[in-house]
Amino acid sequence: MPRQLAESQLAHSRRFSTELGLFVYRKQIRRRRAVLTLLILGSFLLLTITYGRGSGGFQNGVSTIFSPLQTVADRALKPARDLVGWFDKTFEARGENSRLKEELAKERMQAIAGQEAQQENAQLRKLVDLDGTPVLASSAYTEVTARVIARSPTLWHTAVAVDAGSSDGVRVDDPVISGDGLVGQVASVQHGSAQVTLITDHTSAVSAKVTPVGAQGVIRPDVGNPEDLILDFIDSTKLVHQGQAVVTAGWSAQGLSSLFPPGIPVGEVTRASVVEQEASQQVHLRPYADLVNLDLVQILTGGSRG
Amino acid sequence: MIVTPRIFARIAVIVVLGVLLQLSFFSRVMLFDTSPDVLPALVVSLGLLGGSMTGTLAGFSIGFLVDCLMAGTLGGSSLVLLGIGYLAGLFRERFEIHSALVPPLLCMGLTFAAELGFAAVQLMLGVDAPVSTLIVRDVMLKSIFAFFLGWPIYLGVRRVLRPALVEGTRVRRRRQPTVLGA
Repeated sequence: MPRQLAESQLAHSRRFSTELGLFVYRKQIRRRRAVLTLLILGSFLLLTITYGRGSGGFQNGVSTIFSPLQTVADRALKPARDLVGWFDKTFEARGENSRLKEELAKERMQAIAGQEAQQENAQLRKLVDLDGTPVLASSAYTEVTARVIARSPTLWHTAVAVDAGSSDGVRVDDPVISGDGLVGQVASVQHGSAQVTLITDHTSAVSAKVTPVGAQGVIRPDVGNPEDLILDFIDSTKLVHQGQAVVTAGWSAQGLSSLFPPGIPVGEVTRASVVEQEASQQVHLRPYADLVNLDLVQILTGGSRG
Repeated sequence: MIVTPRIFARIAVIVVLGVLLQLSFFSRVMLFDTSPDVLPALVVSLGLLGGSMTGTLAGFSIGFLVDCLMAGTLGGSSLVLLGIGYLAGLFRERFEIHSALVPPLLCMGLTFAAELGFAAVQLMLGVDAPVSTLIVRDVMLKSIFAFFLGWPIYLGVRRVLRPALVEGTRVRRRRQPTVLGA
């Protein structure tokens, strides 16, 4: 009899502990699902609130806190980045060697033609009394040199962070260039840092023209391909050829003006397709600036705003 | 995983360091014309070691931080990465990790899913420009990089979080004392 009682108590206690365990387990699962649902709703809420305009102060605050850390990390990791870059470039160089030889021959011919054009240009400048200085030097813009300290990890949002901010006179929408050409424009600014949206970002649109044809259009990116930009809405009566340069148009009308000053080199035409019975044509160009390996950039501060 | 305040601090340090390393190093390194994305692999590692709750919270935090630092639309990266973290944690809770290949394979698979997720979020928000087919190649390459980087990331995170791991404690207790002269 006592043995039966003990067995019954043991079975009861086992059942109780199993039920307790199940209760705790279910409670944990409920809690996890609640957290997951809450965070998903939070993400959608953030997307809805900040889409197209950002969160302003909060994002700026976080960036201000982290920008010194990013600067330190950028400097400390530069040797490691260079090492990986060296391996990658060595691998690529093997395939590029023959292509470069062909390009060299072509470039030599162009250089000879370029020298002639320079002589002619100098004569023309004297004639129209231009001082021969570059477009930017004669404009109201002041160049602020900045180092790239971070880059966006996704293929969809192509942006970089730089170590110059409002303390250096940088403002939102300031154009950004590198030694080779147009890079993008400032998207947000903090005291000592700024985020730059590149011209390869899907939100970017730059008015530009093909030289010397003068055909104007809007440069849009080919999302995911940093080596290709598309110059859209080009008048199909103006024939555009491979190798021609594309520069910013810098329009101004009715008190409004383009964010980009005129004459900044953007890229070189790689492909021009004339579609029959179409009023406009699409031109593909390769950006002059190496947008995937940016290290130093210049932000054009000041200047006129529409 | 038992999350004490000290372990929470360690996870926070891993999250911040991971984001800084990604933005300042991995995003700026080009290998075969694309850059590795270690953040999904980091979230997967945290999910595998800490379970679905840790994975979800870590994914959300990492995404939020990246969006804040790169002036992106807040919530996009968080939404994708919290899903990845939850899935990795769910895997840990439902299955045993028998093979050393499981973490890198999961990192690869879930990085692929994350890249598709980023694309889906962007398309949901609207893309006004044409999309290159090169993006498919980049997604593939990022997934392959995640396979190779996933294992060291998993080991590194496990090492940092070892005091909180049940298996880690058990292994340490099982160790026999050394008898001198035996």
